[in-house]
Order: sequence, then structure tokens, then C-alpha cells
Amino acid sequence: MARRALRAVAQYGAVLFAAVCLNFALPRLAPGDVIDYLFPPEQSGAITAEQRAAVLDEFGLDQPVPVQFQRYLAGLARGDLLLSVRYGRPVRDLLAERIGWTFLLVGSALVVSTVLGTVLGYRSAWRRGTPGDAGILSTAMLVDSMPPFFVGMLLLLLFSVELGWLPTFGAQPTTTTTGAAFLVEVGKRLLLPFATLTLASIGPVYLVARSALVSELGEDYILMAEAKGLSPRQVRRHAERNALLPVSTIALIELGTLVGGAAVVETVFSYPGLGRLIYESVLARDYPVLQGAFLLLAAGVILANLVNDLLYPVLDPRVRR
Amino acid sequence: MNAPLLEMRDVGKTYTKRARATARDVRAVDGVWMRVEAGEVVGLVGSSGAGKSTLGRLILGLERPDRGAVVLDGVDLTSLGGRALRAARRRMHLVLQDPYDSLHPGMRVREVVAEPLAIAGVRRAQRRAQAASALEEADLTPASAFLARFPHQLSGGQRQRVAIARAIVSQPRLIVADEPTSMLDASLRAGILALLLGLRDRFGTAFVFITHDLALARYVADRIAVMHEGRIVELGETERLLATPRHPYTRTLLDASERVRLG
Amino acid sequence: MSVTPAARPAQWRPPGLTLGVTGAGLIALLVAAALFAPLLASHDPTVPTGLPFEPPSGAHPLGTNDVGEDLWAQLLYGTRISLVIALVSALVAVTIGLAVALVAGYYRGKVETVSMRIVDLALAFPFLVLVIVLAAFLGRGLLTTIVVIGAVIWARPARVLRSQVLEARESGHVVAARAMGASGPRIMGRHILPRVAPLTAAQFVRAANVSVLLEASLAFLGLGDPTRVSWGTILHFANARNAFLTDAWRWWALPPGLALTVAVVGFAFLGYAVEERADPRLTRGARRPVRPAARPPEVVDRGPGEPALKVRDLTVQYATGNSPMTAVEKVSLTVPRGRIVGLVGESGSGKTTLAMALLGLTRPPARVVSGDVRVAGRDVGRARPSLLATLRGREVALIPQSAMNALNPAYPAHRQIAEAAALTRAGPHAAARATELLELVGIPRPRHRAFPHELSGGMRQRVVIAMALANNPSLLVADEPVTGLDVVTQARIVELLLGLRERFGMAMLLISHDLPLTATVADDVLVMYAGRVVEQGPTSRVTTAPAHPYTRQLLQASPRLHGPHAPLAGIEGEMPDPFDPPPGCRFHPRCPDAFDRCRGADPPLLDLGDGQRAACLLYDS
Repeated sequence: MARRALRAVAQYGAVLFAAVCLNFALPRLAPGDVIDYLFPPEQSGAITAEQRAAVLDEFGLDQPVPVQFQRYLAGLARGDLLLSVRYGRPVRDLLAERIGWTFLLVGSALVVSTVLGTVLGYRSAWRRGTPGDAGILSTAMLVDSMPPFFVGMLLLLLFSVELGWLPTFGAQPTTTTTGAAFLVEVGKRLLLPFATLTLASIGPVYLVARSALVSELGEDYILMAEAKGLSPRQVRRHAERNALLPVSTIALIELGTLVGGAAVVETVFSYPGLGRLIYESVLARDYPVLQGAFLLLAAGVILANLVNDLLYPVLDPRVRR
Repeated sequence: MNAPLLEMRDVGKTYTKRARATARDVRAVDGVWMRVEAGEVVGLVGSSGAGKSTLGRLILGLERPDRGAVVLDGVDLTSLGGRALRAARRRMHLVLQDPYDSLHPGMRVREVVAEPLAIAGVRRAQRRAQAASALEEADLTPASAFLARFPHQLSGGQRQRVAIARAIVSQPRLIVADEPTSMLDASLRAGILALLLGLRDRFGTAFVFITHDLALARYVADRIAVMHEGRIVELGETERLLATPRHPYTRTLLDASERVRLG
Repeated sequence: MSVTPAARPAQWRPPGLTLGVTGAGLIALLVAAALFAPLLASHDPTVPTGLPFEPPSGAHPLGTNDVGEDLWAQLLYGTRISLVIALVSALVAVTIGLAVALVAGYYRGKVETVSMRIVDLALAFPFLVLVIVLAAFLGRGLLTTIVVIGAVIWARPARVLRSQVLEARESGHVVAARAMGASGPRIMGRHILPRVAPLTAAQFVRAANVSVLLEASLAFLGLGDPTRVSWGTILHFANARNAFLTDAWRWWALPPGLALTVAVVGFAFLGYAVEERADPRLTRGARRPVRPAARPPEVVDRGPGEPALKVRDLTVQYATGNSPMTAVEKVSLTVPRGRIVGLVGESGSGKTTLAMALLGLTRPPARVVSGDVRVAGRDVGRARPSLLATLRGREVALIPQSAMNALNPAYPAHRQIAEAAALTRAGPHAAARATELLELVGIPRPRHRAFPHELSGGMRQRVVIAMALANNPSLLVADEPVTGLDVVTQARIVELLLGLRERFGMAMLLISHDLPLTATVADDVLVMYAGRVVEQGPTSRVTTAPAHPYTRQLLQASPRLHGPHAPLAGIEGEMPDPFDPPPGCRFHPRCPDAFDRCRGADPPLLDLGDGQRAACLLYDS
């Protein structure tokens, strides 16, 4: 067990390192001068030769690449993610401000879509063969097919603009409120982005849960369970437990999708999370922020993968060695 | 005395199995010495997990042994690399247990049977003729009726005959037959076995016949090798071995076989 | 008296076909729109041809945007861009994925380990974020977008296809090809590729699905190619120019959004259909387990001589195609208490269908058409499936074929037995019973809590036997209990079964294709051929003086360990086609003793004395 855990940690550590390297390499791959990436000419006007030399020296950009990489790694270890070009503040601070909101949004959407998708998918598998099933299946696929940002836009239109029930932007109230009122205000602003992401994510979970359970129901041990005289409920439990394996895998993949989806959905709802920060940074060419956010998100997803990998043997004893 | 067709010299193959925190080495084949003369049928018997199939794969060159040598016609297969090994492999062929799995579902019978020739670079017209004659040898007559069919259009017995036709089409010196009749009905068994023995008589092909059924081995084999936990524990002429088994495991096998067979 | 036939199962067609056709239709519609854009659009989409924010009119079916460009034209030309990007990047992704899967899956070893690490790496990154970041740095452009998307999503097809390649690699024909000396490329191309082709197609469609959305999201964020307008780009401008604050969103934002939805739905439906074809397991007939009735069926005959099983004229048919196929025809058999009865038949004899019917586990398309079955005096032939369900595991227990698959891999052996025992006992007693049973079948204590995959084949079979015994059934139905096990294990299991009969007086129906093996265990034996019983009687008689030619030949088809070296006899010909059985006696085309009457009349089971019966006209005086 420990050996397996170590291997998993090592593997994901390598992935993280690759992400770091990618992060380092990207600006240097982009067309144009690295200086332009740090200080886009459009942003701060042309800079003088002395300023240029000073910047090169400061960031060690005139050094050979391996040295630069070393400095980069050292900086990362210190937690130094450079300065935002747009805000002039440390990227680290910006990220810290925003990550909580994204975590809240993505976390809640993931939990609800996984649970709901699994329950509905199992029900669907059980009722397979009835005329209603094809209808539910198509509806699920239809909902799943609408682009998240489009769904978001429609919801925003309906509930915020037309009906005026919910606020159109932000994550917390602008006026000072505390306690329960605060939570309610936060909830109101969270609701639509959360609903959008959940709708976007529930489809794949539903489909996988359904096909996984159908698959398990066709296995011989289910026939045996019936032959043993178990009640339908007991038989069902056998199958559902084993069908959780593919479901856990898809849930993990959905996490990645949700993180990406958050980028877009937060933009639509002006929700101040990491996603919106990325969008703003893309428009503003604030590359240091982009890099930092990317690294942070990648690290988060990698961590989730690692956790899933370690939990897998709990679900599947065959892997337990 | 003639050099043997096939010789296994202290062949060993180990697989690593990860169990708990330690990796356990499973010695699938552990120091096997064996000889097969030209035109001889050697029966390889033993319980499941004894290493029979692994040994079969080592003979065919499908896996490389960790130690020892597999010598075919005087040439050590373990010393050959890619291309040369593949060329040497063409002198041996294989008949597998599952007639449904061993034929490519998308290939017609004539392509299936002619594949060894295609690999050896034989021209198409020649291939078709040889394939037809191989089918006839396998008692699938008239061959023309079978050439254009797909495997799913044939019965289990017919498929196994196609597999045998494929195995003999390039006139190999040795055929490794891994439980060739165990998935077939008893009524078809005799036909297949008669076919294999007939091939031995007509072409002098040697056989390594892998089976867990001792009575079956008795029927086809000149000599029997008993395998247990990766080793050959007894090797001898069939009737002698069955009448007076020397190794305790052979005795166990014999007792069990008698228990489940009619006298 | 016959039972009312089971209700006809509702006609069930897998949804894949309908969905597939719908999906293909939608995609075709979009492709048509893309191809005929110049014909369908009356204006150039990149040039202002009207006033800004014009509502829909004859000249501009979808109105104009904030600079006066025709939105209808933009939508149509945008279809081209979105589809091209989606399909080309999907193609790129699947090609890379397939190549990696083939190389990694076939060559294995270090190549595989390294490739799979890279695949895991690529899968671990959130796609959209990666795409955004890459696009931000590498600039915008059609080609860049395609390359970026393709380079990000290839990992999923690689993973999925690799497992299929691994499976294909171990299939018989690939092993044979390798043994023949075929080269790697040849095997990959001719053997493995055709097998993974269906799944590759499914993955392509999925990748297209993902691509469409990725591109749209990218464009929406303003990272698309500014010179080529795609659906996402239209939405980007709609959002940026605040179309939502006016009514303009209806004709500006809604159409491209719907177009996107149509594309994604189309690909999703199509992908589902293609995948369903690639994986046959998804279309297996639906079967819902039956809830056992509250009370077991009434006991009809109860006497000390009441047999454990009595079957009369049981007929089971498969409803396939136009005419039903009769798998079991008017079979009657009796298993007295404490006796072992063997049922011998080769493939196609109907024996497994019979076993399933006895337990009420007949799956559609098979159904019991007529017949009478009594288990321990209880009439289940006339009973609803729910009544049969009460008896399963209690009065009648099954020892199935291939125990490997009969056990749930997720639960330890002990627990699965306790679960069975819990049907008639309370919790702690059930656990104690499980332990007792495991010891009875000879499994050492330390292995009681092992998982199925940790036990050998022989041990698993014992666990299954223990499970069957949990509730003291009066009848054990053993379907090929030792097939696939090696001979030493076979002998041990046979001893075990005989021992059970000694100790508990259990009745057993042993079903097998192996006549010699069955003969060493059973007191009476029945031989089945093509759905009928052709001979039955005490084992000693049937094996020493077989009456039916089939039985005789079957006995001669098995090699003997000792005694003279007799040539093995085969049986000429093949099993009859169940859909088109021969007229008269089913066996006559293969029978060495057939004569003219055999073709015309179907012989009933004739009594030959001493309990032996044979269905052969040779004995019809």
C-alpha cells in the first residue's frame, strides 16, 4: 500500500513539475521579446534603453536559460509569483483573494452534480428498456450539450435582467452585512453560476453512471446474486457499489472541466473568482497573472487526481496489493 | 544419434507480481530441460498454473526466457534479434485452445490460412493454392467452399480445423498445440486428434501437446512430460510413465485422473 | 396441465439507433449550411451592409450587429469555421491518440510506461485553462487554434484506445500472428487496428464534441482568430457590446448559441450511437430482478417419497426473428431425494437453458412456454416468477459455471456467504454459518476473509458451493461445476460433492458436457441431444450398455487411461441447426444405425426395462 502511495505521489509530483516547466517555457515560446511579455509596450508605453537594461538585470533575463530557470524555481519556492502588470500588486495576493470564491463555486457544483448525476443515472439504468428511458437520455444529452456560457447567459437574462430576482454581478454584497444576511446575499449571487456549472456537469456523470450500472447488471455475479435468492434491493446494491468505480473517475475528469468552465461562467456573471481573473488578464495581456493562475489551478487539479488515485483501492479491492 | 529438433536447456522465466508492500517473484518456468525429436509428439501435462502455457510461449519465441537457451535445429533462439528471430519462428506454429478467438473475425478463411505465407513473402497466386491444399489436409473439403467464408460462418470444429490449416500451411517442423480440443465437444475431439496425428505421419511434424487431461495425453503422445510449479518433474515414454509413475506428483495426477474418468 | 405462458417482454430496442440517426441528421444539416453558405446568405458577413442594431427584416433575417454587419451571414459562415476547427482538431487529436495507443499497447515495456505517464500528465491538466493559456501565449489564428486544441485533447482517446489495444493484443489471433513471425507494424495494421476501429470512430465523435465547445469558449473569451468569425466569436461580441441590455440579444446571441447546442447535441447523439455499436454489452436485454412473494407457493404433494425435483414436459423457446427456436422440448426428469442425477449434453443440447428455467432465471429472449416443475413438492411451474424467487437460495441452490465470475470482486468470500445465509438466519448466526460452511468445504481459516481474486480457481468454486449450501437446500443444481479446473482440483471437488450427499442427503442435478465425469458421480444419468432427452437410466447401465447410438458414440469419444489403446471415435457431422432441425429423429443424419423410418418418425422415449429408456426407433418393435 505504502509503495503504491509513494509511486502515485512521485508520479503526480512529476506532473506538477512538468506544469512548472511549461509555465516557465511559455512566455519564452511566445512570439516577441520576453520584455514585451513582462511590460507590454501597449500598456506602459515605450521604455528607454536604461529601463530595459535595468529590467533585464533585475529579472536576470540576460542570463543563460538554465540560470533563469533556477531563479524561477527559487522564486516559486519563496512564493514569489511576480507582479501583476495591470494592478501592480503581487500576483500571489490577487490569487489569494480570488481563489476562495472559485473554490466555493466549483466545489459545490462538483458535489451536487456528482451526487445528482449518479442518483439519476442509476435510476435510469434500472429503468432501462422502458419507453421513458430514451426520452430521459436524450434530455440529459440535450442539457449537457448547451455550452455553459450560453446557459449562463440565458439564466442571467431570465433571472437577473427580466425578472430581477437575483443580482447580476459580484460574489458578496457591496454594503456591509453580517451573519445570516451575509450568507443569504452570498447565496443569491452564487446561485446562478452554481446552477450553470451544475447543469453543465451533470450530463457526463449521469451518462457514465448509467452505462456503468448497466454494464455491472450484465455481469455474471449479479445473476449469481439473484440465484442466491437475494432481494432486488440487495442485488442492486451489489451492482451499484461496483459501478461507483467509473463514476469516481468521471467525477475527477469533471473537476477539470468545471475548473475550465468556471473561467467562462465567472466571466458571464462577473463573479470575482480565478476564472474571471484569467479572462481579464487575457484581455489585458497581464501574463504574470495568467501564469500564476494557471499554475495554481493545475496544482489543484493534480492534487485532486492524487487523492482519487489513493482512494481507488478502497473502491476496487482488486487493486489493493 | 541425430540432433534433436528442439532442445530446452535450463530455461527459466520469472514474472514479478506485486503483492502488498513487497514484490514477489513468480517462477513460471524454473529450470526446464527438455528435448523434442523430429516427428515426435510430446505431451506436456500438469495442473493449471504449472507453467505449461508459459513454456509453450517460450518455445515459440513469444517471450524471452530470463535464463537458459531454446535451441531449434541447432540454433539458439535466445541469441537472435528481431528479424532473425521472426524468421526462425516461422519454422514453428501454434494451435490455440479457443477456436473463436484465434481467428481474426474480419479476415476471410483464405486470408487467415495464407497469412504465414504472406509474412514469408510468398506470391499471391501461390498463396491461394497452398492455402487450398492446407484446407484439404485439414479435412475441410472442398476447399473452395470454405475459402471465401468468414470465421463467424463456421462452427467451432470447423474453425479449429482452419486454425490447424493455418498452422501447417508453411510446413513447420514443430507445432505447439495448447489444449486444442478442450473447448470442443467430445464428439469432435477424435476428428481433430486424428487430424493432428495424421499430419505427424505424413509430414513428420513434431508436436508439443499441452493438456491437463492425462488420458488425452496418453492417446496422442509418444512421451509425456509432467510439469509442476515450473519444473518438469518426470519425463518418460507414455505407457511406462502411466504404468509405473515415479514422481509423487505424477502419481497424484494419475490418481485424480482415474477418479474422474471411467477406467 | 400447462402453465400460462410468461407475459411477452416489451419490445425493447436500444436507444442508440434513434439517437444516432437524429445526431447524424443534425450534423448533416450543419454541414449543409456550411457548404451552401454563399448561396444562403445574401450579404458579406465582414462588411457593414446595414444600420447598426437593425432588428430582423427581409434584407437581414437576423438583423445586424453593432457595426451593421449581417448576422445571418455571420451565422452561416461561422458554421464553416466552427465545424472545420472542430473536425480537424478532433482528427488531429484522435490520430495522435491512436498512434500513441498502438505503440504503447503493442510494444509495452518502457515505451508504454513512459507514454502513459505523458498521457496521465496531459489528462491531469484542466483542458480549457490549458487551451486558454496556450492560445494567449501562442497568438490567435485558425491553425494555432486547431493545433492547440488537438494537442490538448489527444490524451483521452489515447487512454481509452490503449486499453482496447491491450485487450486485442492478448486475443488468440494476435498471439497466433506473433507466433507466425509477423512484424509489429503488420500486426498493428491488420489485426489490432480493425478491432479498435469502432471505438476510434466513437472517440473521434467525442473529440469533435469537445472541440466545438473548446473553440467556442476560446472565441467567447476573445482568443479566437479575429479575422475568421465563428459562433463563439459572435457570442463574444454580443457579450462585449452588451447586447443583453437590449432586445438585441434575441437575434444576436440566441442563434449562435442554439447552433452550438445543435452541433454538440448532434455529435453527442452520434457518438452515443457509435459507441453502442462498439460495445455490445450496452445492448444486452434488460432484466429486472423479481421481488420474492410474501409466502412461498403451496405444497401440493408432500410425502416422504416426494422427489426433490420433478419436471414434466418442460419446453423453453427463444423468441428470435420470425419463428421461435425451441431450445428445450418436452423434457421430463425426476431427482429423488438424496440422489444425484446427471444431465449430459454437448453445446447446443439445451442443458444450460434448462438449468436456468429450473431456477426461474430465464432471460428474454428466452421464455418458458409450457411444462410443470415441482421443487420439493411445491409447484412452481404454474407459479409466477415472484414465487420462484422465494425458493431460490432456500429450497433450490445453484452452483454456476465459471465461479470466477459468480463472485462479486468487491466483497470478501465470507461476507458473500453470510449474505446468502442471512436469508434464513439473523445476522450473527449467518456469520457463524458462513464460517462453518467454509470449513466444511475445506478452505483454511486465514483465507476466509480473502477477496475472490486472491483465491485460486478451485477455492473459488468451493466458496460458491459453500454459498449454495447456506440455507440447506433440498436440491442443488450444479451447472458444469468443474469445467475449466485442472484434473486434480476436479477430483477434489467431486469428492466434496459426494461427501455432501453422504452427510446431508442432498439431492443434486449435475449438468455437464463430460459424460465420463458425470458417470463417476451420478446415480442416474440423462443424455440430451438437440433439446431432447435421448436416453436415461441408472448410470451403471447406461455406461456399460448404452442403448442410444449417440450415447454409445459419446462414450467411445473419451480416451481411457488404462487398458488397450483403442482408437477414439468421433461423431460424423455437426450439431443440427436449432432453427432448422432435421425431420424425424434429430440424430439420424449422424447416426451409423439409421434406417428409413428414422427420417419420418420422431421416436418417443421407449422403456427398455431396468429403468433404462431410449428415444430410438431401433427399440420400437
